[in-house]
This record gives sequence, structure tokens and C-alpha cells, in this order.
Amino acid sequence: MTTIPTQSGATSPSPRTSAQAGGPSPLPENLWRATWRRLWRDRGSRLALAAAALLVLTALAAPLLSRLGGWPPTEFDSHAIDPYLGGMPRGPLGGISAEHWLGVEPATGRDLFARVVHGAQVSLLIAFAATAIVVVVGTATGLAAGYFGGRVDTVLSRVMDLTMSFPSLIFMIAMMSVAQDVNRVLLMTVVIGVFGWPGIARVVRGEALSLRHREYVEAARVGGSGPWRILTREVLPNISGPIIAYTTLLVPGMISTEAALSFLGVGVRPPTSSWGQMIAEAVSYYDTDPMFFLIPSAFLFVAVLAFTVLGDALRDILDPHGGRP
Amino acid sequence: MIAYLVRRCLGVAGVLLAICAVTFVIFYLLPSDPASAACGKTCSPQRLAEVRHYMGLDQPVWRQFGDYLVGIFAGRDLGSGPHALHCGFPCLGYSYDNALPVWDLLMDRLPVSASLAVGAACMWLVLGLGAGVTAALKKGGLLDRTLMVGAVATASLPVYFTAVMLLYGVVRVGGLLPYPTYTPLTGDPLGWAANLLLPWTALALLYAAMYARQSRSSMIEAMAQPFIRTARAKGMPRHVVVVKHGLRSALMPVLTIFGMDLGALLAGAVITESIFGIPGVGRLFYDALQRSDQPVVLGVTLLAAFFIVLANVAIDLLYAVVDPRVRN
Amino acid sequence: MTRHTRAMSASLGASLALALLGACTGNADDDGAGRHQRPGVSTGTVIGGTPVKGGTLTVLSDQDFAHLDPARNWVMPTMDFGSRLLYRTLTTFKSSPGKVGSEIVPDLATDLGRPSDGGRTWTFTLKPGLKYEDGTPIKAQDVKYNVERSFAPDLAGGPDYAQRYLAGAKDYTGPLQGRHLDSVKTPDDRTIVFQLRRPVAEFSYTVTLPTFSPVPASREKGVQYDLRPFSSGPYRIDTYERGKKLVLVRNTHWDPATDQVRKAYPDRIVVQQGLKRGQIDDRIIASSGPDASAVEWSDMDPASIAKVLPRPEVRKRLAAEQTGCTDMLALNTSRAPFDNLELRQAMQYAVDKSAQVTANGGPALNDIATGYLPPSLTGVRRADFIYGRSTTGDVEKAKKLLAEGGKPDGFPATITVSTGDKTRAEALQQSLSRVGVRLQIQTVDPSVYYDTIGDTKHAPDMAISGWCPDYPSGSTFLPFVFDGRTIREKGNQGNVSQFRDKAVEKRMDEIAAMSDATRANQAWIDLDPSIQRKSPAVPLLWERKPLLAGDNIAGAFGHPVWTGQFDFAVIGLKDPAKSQG
Repeated sequence: MTTIPTQSGATSPSPRTSAQAGGPSPLPENLWRATWRRLWRDRGSRLALAAAALLVLTALAAPLLSRLGGWPPTEFDSHAIDPYLGGMPRGPLGGISAEHWLGVEPATGRDLFARVVHGAQVSLLIAFAATAIVVVVGTATGLAAGYFGGRVDTVLSRVMDLTMSFPSLIFMIAMMSVAQDVNRVLLMTVVIGVFGWPGIARVVRGEALSLRHREYVEAARVGGSGPWRILTREVLPNISGPIIAYTTLLVPGMISTEAALSFLGVGVRPPTSSWGQMIAEAVSYYDTDPMFFLIPSAFLFVAVLAFTVLGDALRDILDPHGGRP
Repeated sequence: MIAYLVRRCLGVAGVLLAICAVTFVIFYLLPSDPASAACGKTCSPQRLAEVRHYMGLDQPVWRQFGDYLVGIFAGRDLGSGPHALHCGFPCLGYSYDNALPVWDLLMDRLPVSASLAVGAACMWLVLGLGAGVTAALKKGGLLDRTLMVGAVATASLPVYFTAVMLLYGVVRVGGLLPYPTYTPLTGDPLGWAANLLLPWTALALLYAAMYARQSRSSMIEAMAQPFIRTARAKGMPRHVVVVKHGLRSALMPVLTIFGMDLGALLAGAVITESIFGIPGVGRLFYDALQRSDQPVVLGVTLLAAFFIVLANVAIDLLYAVVDPRVRN
Repeated sequence: MTRHTRAMSASLGASLALALLGACTGNADDDGAGRHQRPGVSTGTVIGGTPVKGGTLTVLSDQDFAHLDPARNWVMPTMDFGSRLLYRTLTTFKSSPGKVGSEIVPDLATDLGRPSDGGRTWTFTLKPGLKYEDGTPIKAQDVKYNVERSFAPDLAGGPDYAQRYLAGAKDYTGPLQGRHLDSVKTPDDRTIVFQLRRPVAEFSYTVTLPTFSPVPASREKGVQYDLRPFSSGPYRIDTYERGKKLVLVRNTHWDPATDQVRKAYPDRIVVQQGLKRGQIDDRIIASSGPDASAVEWSDMDPASIAKVLPRPEVRKRLAAEQTGCTDMLALNTSRAPFDNLELRQAMQYAVDKSAQVTANGGPALNDIATGYLPPSLTGVRRADFIYGRSTTGDVEKAKKLLAEGGKPDGFPATITVSTGDKTRAEALQQSLSRVGVRLQIQTVDPSVYYDTIGDTKHAPDMAISGWCPDYPSGSTFLPFVFDGRTIREKGNQGNVSQFRDKAVEKRMDEIAAMSDATRANQAWIDLDPSIQRKSPAVPLLWERKPLLAGDNIAGAFGHPVWTGQFDFAVIGLKDPAKSQG
């Protein structure tokens, strides 16, 4: 429960005047470019962007990278470890050498570089997919609740309240350990996603609520547009700024949650690696083989940090006084 | 106000009922059979049936659920004859594992988790609010930037990493504190604090970082409000403005999150408790889950939900007191 | 044994002495790989010399006891703890490392029991002057009462030997509703007579089990007796907070003159529960303050080996007694692919056993198993190397057999292991991938492991499964693991391979009928390789139990009967003053 981002929804963001009051297409081409420019101008955001991009690239190119390193992530190397010392890596720094760039895992001799790179794939895939679920479900419910109001709003808000009352980490652990014969990556994505959506739903609901009686929305309604058209053409584009900022800020939380679940041993199935699972294995080696512990921790740290900084920067640009996640 | 309270209480009951039902269904789907686990290694089919009957597992799931709900208020019996056990309100059933009433188990572990959560909460409130407010008042300065970079970095460290590093630095190398072994507050307050200092710190660092970020932005927002400018213009001393007006309105959103966080932590910080070997509710939950001790899992889940809901209600009440419009 | 233990099934009673360990270890790695470098973890020796009376012994544990109630206690280390400290049984095992430890001596009884009626009736007489913790006398009726309790479905989980052996026990469901068992008679307060449904020659061993300890009916608390067993041993429970802490203090009514086994050195014993495993190792290695007077309850973390073995001062405080069990890779013979003999035999060549050793803590704590029967049952006799001597396997031969079995390109298979065996499963996955067998691993918690693989309909293709002998005889091993008639649809344990073979079953019946124990034992040893040829399971490891003791601990050794757990009868401190109350 400690790593779940605090998605306080108890205070819905105060309705505020949109920066582009009255303008039906609020994020035009030039605003994108402006956003990009402001992001790039700040050194911190630039670094974060570079780190995030590098990690995503690493994850995408994992098979290629591990081939470059010469070791598949699941191959044992009995020569790299000393069986008489409980399988400790041979050589200093956890067996870092030209052969194994980041050393090896104790007891198996599996290549840490290959494992951490493949771990990036699993960790980021789950984090992004879960974020996608959260954003899609959250935005849809939030829009519906805010735009239609009345009974729809009451029911959806109740569901949001209910979902937020679930002790989420406890439930995630329980659900992950109950289900055995399913695709673990998929299950984990869904389980993480299921509890994350009310936060964004509340933000979107608040925004939609404030937009539904705007002139241009009313105008579209009078002009005979259906709710679907109004929502997608008029309302959604107007609140895409906050949604994008919120989405970016969701990612680090998702990465942490995935890592926490894997750390507790209810994550992906062996021999697949993920950062949390690697750290869990390494905890007991923290003093005898510190590199084994530090390397996956460093990757996890950088990933969470990069996406947090990026999200902060995007929020400052796109949603300067808006609903904070 | 009374009608509002009643409405809220009904809502709470509904939420708890829904959570209870969902949990029940999830665990009914568990592949393992608690009866055969209890029965032992060479269990004949006949004996298995007896054990299953004794544990009430031969009933259909809706019936088990009904019994559970009724049992919470009316109490339940385990077994029959002169040595049957009875647990009264609020009866959450018996642990499959050791036949203790789940309620007793929870109440036994709750002080441990509460010690952890409350101690850590004090730490992170002081650290987090202090850093956040300081940063907000020095907005844009070097101190602000240092504090915020530190906060972002600390918030990005998982609690299990911080915990291991603390253990290594403070206990193994430094030898400044003993390895954490939970000691109850009653009897040995000093030992209690010494043993919990590391877990508190590990937990508090993470939350303090998040709170620093949160309180900085609410403080900046608050200080930009018109009434602050008015107060300043009237010539009130700076510290009065900051504390009496700025902090007070900046505190509300922070308190909201605080209620939720504390509520969730009271029912056990699973990771922190498992890393430090603290026998709290989180540890109880994790162990029970591994042994498919369904009544205990259900009990912890309900307790956790109860605390979260309670925190929500408390916050809403606070708002209702401050702002009467909320009541309607 | 199912609970809290990674890979063991039923295991009780006398496991045979670890005869001639030196010879066995030589046998185990015949390729010579480990012979010279064996780190020499001591076995059969006592850590710290003879203890001094007094002080507080601390036991650091990562878990709670499954059951301390003597009718329900069937987990080896807990049986050790309970029957050495809290309750006495009719007979018990000697307190000695190595071979002598599995010999039995009278405990509550005056002798090892007197058989009559061809071994169908057993009579025990209680020593005079035995007392409970409140000073009331221990009566034969109380032993009978606890035996009856073991039938109650409320009090499930304990040894079921009383149910298997006693006459007229069918449909009996315990004394809680006031019914009693006629086949246990107590003619007077000091005499107890058991009437069995068939001759049981080793009944003297059976009554070492906690089932045969006294519980007075007046102290009955049903399931909650578990919280506070009434003591007949040298200690009584002062406080017990489940999952947190157990404190034992001296039972002043226990008379050492009536007890030839228990020494009861410490004044207090504190069991600290729910700690983190690696931290327990660190604490005992550092041995500072009260931790110097501490021992660990659960196996040392494999990650700690590197902190122990290179340091002679710490290494001499490590006990690593053989568990006396055999770890096997069971192949599900009930369906494809392993209903095919060639494919099963291919697995014998495909598995890299030395990778198993490494994944399980290395040669210091494991020997490669070369047969099903553990060395404790086969003595010094070298097992036949039916599938070659290579410890890393023989890929060529495996591929040849796979081709003969019609699967030249391998096949996918599932394996279920308990969470603690994850690395071992990955090592198997890796070694089998050399011949094209693609393993899908499922890990489940140790507590539900045997439930999961015991559901024959949903059983995986492979499972890591273990068996420990109940008595010093192959009759407590092979029939439990390879007799097709013992298979049950649910809760199937022992014969995890679901191996059904008429010839093997016939031979087992013949051996069981043999009256000459020595000849029978030899026959079991000979049966082992002939089952191996049919390959229902691949023998993997003979494990040891690594346990650390603090540097103020004396008299500590792994007891061979209780899978190498410290013998709590004689453990104590070098300097009680150092233990700080």
C-alpha cells in the first residue's frame, strides 16, 4: 500500500475557467509544438525525457540487446558462479566482466544484463497497458458522469466511491494469488487497472461538469449533434490537456505497483523477469552481492523518477492550476 | 446534520457489504481446499468429509456467505458438543489455521500495525509538511529546488529499497540499533520506539516526499488567494498570515490524503511489515493468504475497507463542519 | 510434514541412523567433482560442548508452529519441539547425534512395551511419580484420552497411526461427544493396553509420536487446546501470542530422575516468531547481546552461505544434518507424455543434477541422489548407476530416447513446485530445454503444495516431490511412493507419479510378507533399481538441514529423526549470565 500513488479523489478539483474559454479546439497544432518547446527548454525535463525514451527503447529492443550481450535471459552459466559458496558469482562486483556486462544472478549464473533488460519489457509493458486501461475507463466514466449528470452521475459516482474504498494493494495481492492458470502479464495489467480508474474519472467528471453548459457545447446541442458527437468533438478535446498530464503522472505509480506485486511474489511466472521480482530475489543478497540488488533497483528508480519529472513538467504546462492527481 | 450522518452510515454499510461479497467470491474460487489442508497428509475420504462438515465447507457458497453475514451480528458456533466454541458480536469467523476468532486475531495485531502507521505518520507529517511549506515560502529559491529534487527522488525509491538500505547502514554496519523485533508499547516504551524507528523511517521517507510535493503546491496556491493578499495589505505580521491563513487553507487537501493514507496503513503495511518482520495485520494477511486461511483474509480485507471508509467519512465530516453546503 | 517444509511428505517415527555418513558422502558424488572441495559442514558433531544449567535460550523463527496440540502435531521440527519440551511420550528417541539418535528408550513407560498375541496387543506400564505442571499425577487414562482425541475431526492434522492401527476404530470420531474407544484399555492408573487390528512389530516406535502423550480430560479445550497444551515435560507455557512470541518456563513438577533423555538446561526458552529469514541469519552470525544465546528455527537462507562457509568461526556454529529424505522429480505416468517409458527414461538423462545441487545451496548442503532409497536405508551399499554417472546429464542419450519415444523434437510439459523451489524449477527448465522439452512452471505456496499436486485430475506433468522414511526399513518408503494401489483421486500423496505397475506391486507384497527383516531390507534395496528402470521419477537430491547457532550455544546438534532439527532436549548455553534474563 505504500507504493500506490495517492490518488486523492476526495476533493474534486475546483471547476475552473478553461484557458481557451469558448474555443472549440483547444489543443491546436501550435500548442503541441509550444508544449514540446517548453518541455525541451527545461534541463530536468529534457533529462527525464531522454531517460524515459532510453528505457522504452531498451524495453523494445530487449531481445536484440541481450543477443548483443551474448546471453539469453534464461540461460544458466554454471561457470560464472561458485557452487561451494552457495552459488555466489565468481569475480568482483557480482561477476561483472566482459562476458557478463552487469554480472550474474547468484545460484543460477543467469546474465543480469539480459534479465534486467527483459525485465524492463515486462515492467513497462504492464505499466503502460494498465495506464491505458485506467485512462480509457476513467475518462469514459468521468465524461459520462459529468456530461449526463443526474442519475447516471449518481450511479457512476457511487461506483467510484466503492472502488476507492477497496483496500487496493490487499485486493491486488489476493486476486493475483487466486488466479493460477491465466496469462500473468494480462492478469496483472487488468488487476492494477481495475483499481486505478476512479482518480482520473473524478478529474474528468469535474471538467466535464464545468464544460457541459458552455456556449459552444450548447450550440452543438442545439445544432442537433448527438451526445457521442458532442463528447468526442467538443468536450474531450477541451480536457485533453489535464488528461495527458494526469496520464503521464499515472505511469510511475503503475511501475511501482507492478514492482510491489512482483516483489511480494505474486507477479509474473518464472523464468520471466521483472524488476520487482529481481529485487525480491536480491534482497537477501544485499550484503553478499550488492550489485545484484542495486542494478534492478537503479533501473526501477530511474524509470519512476523519469516519468514523475516528466509528468510534473507536463502538468505545469498543460494544466497549470488544475486537478492534481 | 443527523440525516446526513445516517445517510453516510448507510452508505458505509453498503460499501462494506459489497466488499465482503466480492472478497467472498474471489476466495471461493481458490484452487486449494482448506479442509484437506487442515486434515493432514494421510487423510481418508471419510475423514475429509467430516472435517469439511466441521468447517462448514460442505454448504453451498451463498449459504456460507449468509451464515457469515448473520454471524457477524448474531455470533457463531464452531463445532458442537461441550467443547464447541462460540464467538459473539462482531464475529468474523474462526481462522482455519489456528481456530482463533478472526476478530481476536485482528485486535491482537492491530496495535502493532497502528504503532507502525501512527509513528510513521507523525514522522512524515512533520518532515513532509515542514519541507513543503518551507519550499513554498522560498518558492523558486535554491532551498526550494533542493528540497523538491530530494522529494521527487525519495518518492521514486520503493519502500523495500529504502528499508534494506536502512537495515544495512544503521543496523549491520553502524550497529546503532538492534534488528527490529516488535516489543509492545506497554512495559517497554523505549524498546518499542527503538525497534520501530527503522520501519517508521522507511515508511515515513516515502510519504514525506509525497507530502512535501503536495503541501508545497497547496501552500503556493493558498498564498496566492485574494484573502491572503488582503491580510498582508492590512499589515498583519508575516508569520500570522502564513500560519493562520495560508497554512490553514493549504492543510485541507493534505489532510484529505492523510486520512486515506493513514486509513490504508492502519490495516497493515504489507511490504514494510514483511521486510522488517513485524507481526502486524499486513503480515497476518500475507501469511493467511498463503495458507488459504480464508476467514482471516476476509477479516483483514474488511478491516482495511472499514478504515478507508472511516477515513473518508471523517474527512467529509470535517468538510461538512467547515462548509455547510456539503451536507445537502 | 506438508506444512512449512519445502519438499517433503509424510515423515515420522524412526528414520534409520545415518549410517556411516562418511562413506555415503563419498558415494554421492562419484564423478569426483565435489570430493576434495566439500566444505566440511560438520555432521554428527555437537556444537559448543556441554551446556551449563540456567539462562534464557532464544529461538528465532520466521513462522508460527502449525500445531502444538499433541493430537495435531505432525510437522517434524514442531514434533521435536513439543515432545522434547512440553509433553512426554510412552517411548522416545535418544538424544544423540548420528546413528545413536534414532534408537528408542522408554519415556513415560518403564520399558519399550510388551507385545503379546503375536504383536497384536501391546502393554505399557507408566513410571511411578510422574506429574503434570500443576503437580497432579499423570495417569494411563490421560494417554488413552489423547489417543482418542486424535480421531476427532475438529482436531485434524495430527498423525493418523492410531486410526490405522487400533482395532475397532472405524467410525469413531473422538471423545469430545463423550464416546470412548474400547481397543485402548487402562486396567489401572499406570497400565495402558493397545489392541491393534493387525500385528505391528515396530509399535514401540509408533508410541514416540505426540499422539501417545498424556492430556487430562479435565483440561480439554477443543481446538483451543492448541494455544496452551498442559505440560508433562520439563517446561510449561508461560505466554503464547500466536505468530509473535512463545515463552516457556520451567515446570517445577517435572522430575529429572524419571527422565533419561531430557536435560532441560535453560531456565527459560523464548521463541520469537514472524521474523525475516535473512535477518535471523545475520543476527546469529553477529551473535551480539542476547543473539549469542539464540538458535534459528527454519533453514538458513541460501544467500547466507557466503557469509558462513568462508569464516571458520561461524562455520563451526552451523549444523547441517542430513534430512534423511529423498527429493525426486515425479513424472505423471497417468497420461501423455510420461505414460511413455522411453520419454520417462529420457528425463533421467536430460536432467542436470549438479545444477539442482547449485540451485539448492550447493554441495555443502546437498548430495546428488543416485537412487530412490536414501543412504540412511541403504547403508554403505553403492546404488547402481542405471543412467550413467554424469551428474550433468547426457544430452545425446536423452535425445536418442526421445526419438525412440516418438518425440525427437521434444514436447511442452508443465511442472508445479512450491515457491521455495522456484530456482530449482528454473534449473530444470533450463536443463530440459537442452533436449527440446519446454517446461511451464507454476509455483504454489508450500502450505497448499501437496493439495495442488495431489489433485490427480489436474496434476501437472512433473512435480518436485520428496519422501522421508517412517521406520528404518524400505517398507516405509517404496510402497508409499510407488504402489499404484495407494493413489487417491484427491489429496493423493506419496505416489505423485501415479505409477501403477503390477509386477512392482506383486514384489512389494512378497517383500512385506517376509519374516526375516535383514532379507526383506536387502530385497527392498534390490527393488529400487528395478523401479528406476521403469522411471516413474528422477531421483534428484539428498538434502541437509542448515541451521545456525549463536556463539553462546552449547549442546546443539541436528537430530536425525526430526529431519535434522536441533534436539531441544539437550540444547543449552555456555554461559547463562550472557543471555540477559
